[in-house]
Formats: sequence, structure tokens, C-alpha cells
Amino acid sequence: MSARSLAENFFSYLQAGEVGDILDLMTPDATVSLVPLNRHGPMATDGAAYVRELVRSFPDLVVRVRRLFVTADNTAVAEITIEGTQADDFLTVVNQEKHVELDQAWMLKVTPADRISAVTAYWDQNQLYRRLGVKRLDKITITAG
Amino acid sequence: MTTTAIRGGPGVTPRESGAAAAVLAFFDAYRVHDVEGMVDLCTDGADFRYVPFEVRGRQRVLHGEGKVRTIGKVIWTTLIDAFPDLNNDVTSLRADEHGNVVAEVSVNGTQARPFGIIACTGGHFELPHLFLFHVTGDGLIDDVVAYWDNVVWKRQLGCVEVD
Repeated sequence: MSARSLAENFFSYLQAGEVGDILDLMTPDATVSLVPLNRHGPMATDGAAYVRELVRSFPDLVVRVRRLFVTADNTAVAEITIEGTQADDFLTVVNQEKHVELDQAWMLKVTPADRISAVTAYWDQNQLYRRLGVKRLDKITITAG
Repeated sequence: MTTTAIRGGPGVTPRESGAAAAVLAFFDAYRVHDVEGMVDLCTDGADFRYVPFEVRGRQRVLHGEGKVRTIGKVIWTTLIDAFPDLNNDVTSLRADEHGNVVAEVSVNGTQARPFGIIACTGGHFELPHLFLFHVTGDGLIDDVVAYWDNVVWKRQLGCVEVD
């Protein structure tokens, strides 16, 4: 499977919250860096926990891939938009049923054996807080209507 | 700068190496605050999008999106004015055969003037960025996109307001 196809499947499984299928695309020791969350660790634990929380909090999650290219070292680079309506607390932000659209950039490093070995994601957590109604960064759990 | 992601030797296409060189030259110019030099590395109509850049006005939200020669130049100049020792370190750079380039860049600086809602307390920041470029076959940048996290940036500068 090409790096492009792997990336397309990865984001399709992300939208569906299919953690097992995501991990099947990856090497057993694959790592994840969720840069805005300062979360860096194994995909099987840290990455899986993030995906589970994301789809639990946004059960109508839609992941749109806006741009996708593969660099010469077989890294898939994607700009995506995640979209959904909050239905549960997310990253300590209380649920106000806000609708969210958030642009993100992801890099998926693919091995010669066609497995993803490293995932790195960038987005602006401030934009996410703004859309969820958070007013102050020192009081994330306090939101405005 | 790490070079692990930058291929060399046989097998590297001219388009790939040319695109990488244009982007490295862009960050070299940025490092010495040569905004005109940054702009000169871009096509006349180059697109610009700083995704996290949102300014809440009374009527609408202003986005950091437009053209390099208008929005981009203004933002770069304003940033350098607010952070006179603004610096960058390209930590990884990858390119494809079609002019697409992705660069992980650590940007740092010390605040000397207010920037947007961030009042000046003289704080220092160091912030990872992801830049995506497209470079034409002539070696000019025609698209600049950047992602970073404003929460980390604001916290380092003592700002706790979301807006």
C-alpha cells in the first residue's frame, strides 16, 4: 500500500474512531507527537487514548483531507479539517454542545514495509478553546456560553 | 539543523533540491530579518496562510490569509518589530518531486513591544512551527502555510486570555 493510501486510510479510520484499524496500519513501536498537547509517546497508548477521547467527545466527527503529498523519504503530509459537535467533555473542557471546525497538519512517516512508524500533528489549541467557549487559558474548565 | 530528512546524492531530483534550497533561503532571510529578501523568494501572487492567526474584531474575525506581498509582509514585519531578536532553527525539511516542502521550524524571540492581545512583559518564547510550502519549477515559492499553537506561545509570554 502506498504512503498516500495509508494516509487516506488513517484519516478515514480517525473519522470512524477505529483505533484497532489505525494501529493495524502502524509498526508495533510507532510513536505519536501531538505537539499542542505536549503528548509524545507510543501510538498504541498515547495516540489511541487521544483518538478515543476525540470520537467520544465528538461522535459526529468528520475528517476532511484538504491537501496530501508524500515527500521523498516516504512521509505523508496532510492538511486536514476536523469538524464535529461536542457531546462530552474534551481535554478538560466542559461540554456546551459547540460545533467545532479546526484545521490541522499531520505528518505520517512510512517504512519501506508500508507501515506508519511515526505520527506528528500540529494545530492551534487556542483556536480549539475559542470554538469551545473557553475564555481563559488558566481556567480551561470555565467556559462562556 | 538536522539534515536527516534531507536526501543528498544520486536520486535527488532537481525539483526536490531546488524546492528545498528555496525554503532554506527563505528561513535564512527570515533569520536576518530581511523581509524584502523573503518576499523576493516568492512569486508576485504567492498565497499566504498563517492558520492560527485570528484576530477578533467587533464585527468579524480577521484571518492571517491572503497574499505574501500584502498580509504576509505585514505580519512578518510586525513580528520582527515586536520581537527584535526573532530567530528560527529549521529542525527538519522534506520535499517531494512536485515542489511541495514541509519544514519543522523552532521559532524563538524576546518580546519588546505588544503583539496583538499579548501585552509586553519582556518574555521569551520558543515555539515549534510546521511550515508547508509550494515552490514553482522556477524555484520561487508560490504558497506559504504555517501551523503553531498559540496557547504555548501565550503562556510563555504571560498572556492567559483566549481572545
